[in-house]
Amino acid sequence: MDILLQVLANGLMLGGLFAIVSVGLTLIFGIVKVVNFAHGEFLMLGMYGTYLVTTGLGLHPFVAVIAVVPALFVLGVLTQRLLIQPLMAAGDDHIQIFATVGLSTALINLALLAFGADIANTPPHGLRAPVVIGPVRVLAGQVVILAAAAVLVAGLQLFLSRTQTGRAIRAVAQNRAAAELMGIDVGRIYALTFGIGAACVGVAAVLVAPLYPTSPTSGTYFVLTAFVVVVLGGLGSIGGAFGGAILIGLIDSLAGFYVGSDLREVAVFGVFLLILILRPSGLFGARLTLAHVSP
Amino acid sequence: MRHAVVTRTAVAVLLGLAATAAEADVRFGALYPFSGQLALLGEESARGLEIAVDEINAAGGVQGEKVVLVRGDAVDNNQAIGEARRLISLERVAAIFGSYSSARSIAASQVAELSGVPYFELGAVADEVTGRGLKFLYRTNPTAEDMGKLAVEMIVGKVAAGLGKKPDELKIGIIYEDSSYGTSVAGHQKKFAAGAKLNVVTAQGYPAATLDMSSLVLDLKRRGVDVVLQTSYLNDSVLFLQQANEAGFKPGAIIGGGGGYSMQPTADAVGHGIIEGVLDTDFTQFLVNTRYTPGIEGFVDAYRKKYNGSPRSGHSLNNYVGAKIILQELNTVKGFTPDTITRAVKGIDVKPGVTAVGYGFKFGANNQNERAAMMGMQWQNGKLVTVYPDEAAVAPMQFRK
Repeated sequence: MDILLQVLANGLMLGGLFAIVSVGLTLIFGIVKVVNFAHGEFLMLGMYGTYLVTTGLGLHPFVAVIAVVPALFVLGVLTQRLLIQPLMAAGDDHIQIFATVGLSTALINLALLAFGADIANTPPHGLRAPVVIGPVRVLAGQVVILAAAAVLVAGLQLFLSRTQTGRAIRAVAQNRAAAELMGIDVGRIYALTFGIGAACVGVAAVLVAPLYPTSPTSGTYFVLTAFVVVVLGGLGSIGGAFGGAILIGLIDSLAGFYVGSDLREVAVFGVFLLILILRPSGLFGARLTLAHVSP
Repeated sequence: MRHAVVTRTAVAVLLGLAATAAEADVRFGALYPFSGQLALLGEESARGLEIAVDEINAAGGVQGEKVVLVRGDAVDNNQAIGEARRLISLERVAAIFGSYSSARSIAASQVAELSGVPYFELGAVADEVTGRGLKFLYRTNPTAEDMGKLAVEMIVGKVAAGLGKKPDELKIGIIYEDSSYGTSVAGHQKKFAAGAKLNVVTAQGYPAATLDMSSLVLDLKRRGVDVVLQTSYLNDSVLFLQQANEAGFKPGAIIGGGGGYSMQPTADAVGHGIIEGVLDTDFTQFLVNTRYTPGIEGFVDAYRKKYNGSPRSGHSLNNYVGAKIILQELNTVKGFTPDTITRAVKGIDVKPGVTAVGYGFKFGANNQNERAAMMGMQWQNGKLVTVYPDEAAVAPMQFRK
């Protein structure tokens, strides 16, 4: 019984990790439907940023949020303006895929040049300390990640549903042309959404860096799962993505223990496929009709 | 008419000059991943070869000719093939040295084999490198099989006694990243463990790009595993050691299979206190008994002078010794045709304990160096010191009390 609780706790923590990394992607991919394969590399750059701030200034890694989040916001806006925006005019979404895959490869190799292939370790400053709750042991940093993911998801949900800008974002996502006719500055909204999505990745990077070694390929470990989480939760549903992340984390952990570590990906992707077959719009997604999405 | 004669003479003179220039040098290819993801250790490996060539040239070259290295960048398997072609047909190298990565080596050596150009592998460990029956491929370094063999040898010979148990009383858990590197080493570990009648209670693969090994750790803990054998890269070595520590899983011994376990960044990431006592099987490293590895200090000095820093791993050392042995042996023949080169290297017969890597050299079946062997290391006070075999050890193997 104790072991089962520990396995579940590990799964919950892993789910929190997937959730925090996916938050930015729900906005960029889930809401405005831009496929950004460089998402993982944004995370990797944020982790290096956290590492540099923490080791360079000797500060607690969380302080790095002041530098990393605005930096990633700018990176997101620039990516949208310089790479995605010109391609949107091309009218074929597949080009975005190639462009962002290219960006991803370029960023990985740039990081290889700048930082080398070695790993960089952000000092944990107590975040690796165990938190013992009854029979269960987890890390302080993992609990922070889970809590931060929940807060970020709730905050984003409120932002999208309650604020003028949030409504504008959803309007642009639903129908670009109609939104423009209503007087929304579509270009600005796209840039802003991308910036906010990237800034969320910045928050994730600051929280993840003290727990995981950073290397140029760190981002690739996260990106596939992040896409799975967003699709599983239901495109466009931010709360759904959070639920999807927790589910994936639990399946991964349970399968890793009870089935065997070599089969956990089979289990995760098997469940993913099964859910998509049974509920093509994802677990929490509304019925997906693409008719209203402008080309 | 006169014009044509002049041109012809000029061409002839130029050709003659080119021929004399070529005669003064003998060219060899250095085919490694110099860019891309494998660049760090690819470059490190090539440095060993470069130092060997420097020393050979300082001593008068090979057969009186200066050795010139031509670099080829094997950034991926396709480019390894392309660069091997370029080295052979355009650069006209006498032989190719390489290549750190097994996948690059397997791809590029096919090209060399078809062209009948000798290919000397100094650092790739996969079985398939020499397992294909190639005529012109020779490998000087120890292999995945040697790694598996050594781990089992250490358990039977030292670890069991150190933990106060008989070898067959120990519960062994084998975990490995599931690409060809981890799978082949783990396969040999299983094979030799079965041969030594050890009790392997579980063997599990996992993807190297994993984010969480806590389930695997819990599984090993539940099974009461005494000795963990892990074959892994950097990320998963760090992850396993950290998560094992955090879950309170303290097996009697952890034996790593090279990769992440031999690297200082792993120790720094995990923490010196946590990695203390962890064992490792790999190529010869630098904290080793120098009476068994004569020349290793000279190598380190030469390395520091040339590259302004200490060697970053044992790869340079193994490439250095392998290349030097081969180049020296080419003095015993005349000319650099493929046949004379292969005839020369077949005569190599170097006993263990006389080179800077410790192991000896003699090519046996499949042109594999049958005297190549790995060594056992242990992390002690944040340093990777050699503890096995006894003649190479600088410290006794230590066990948690």
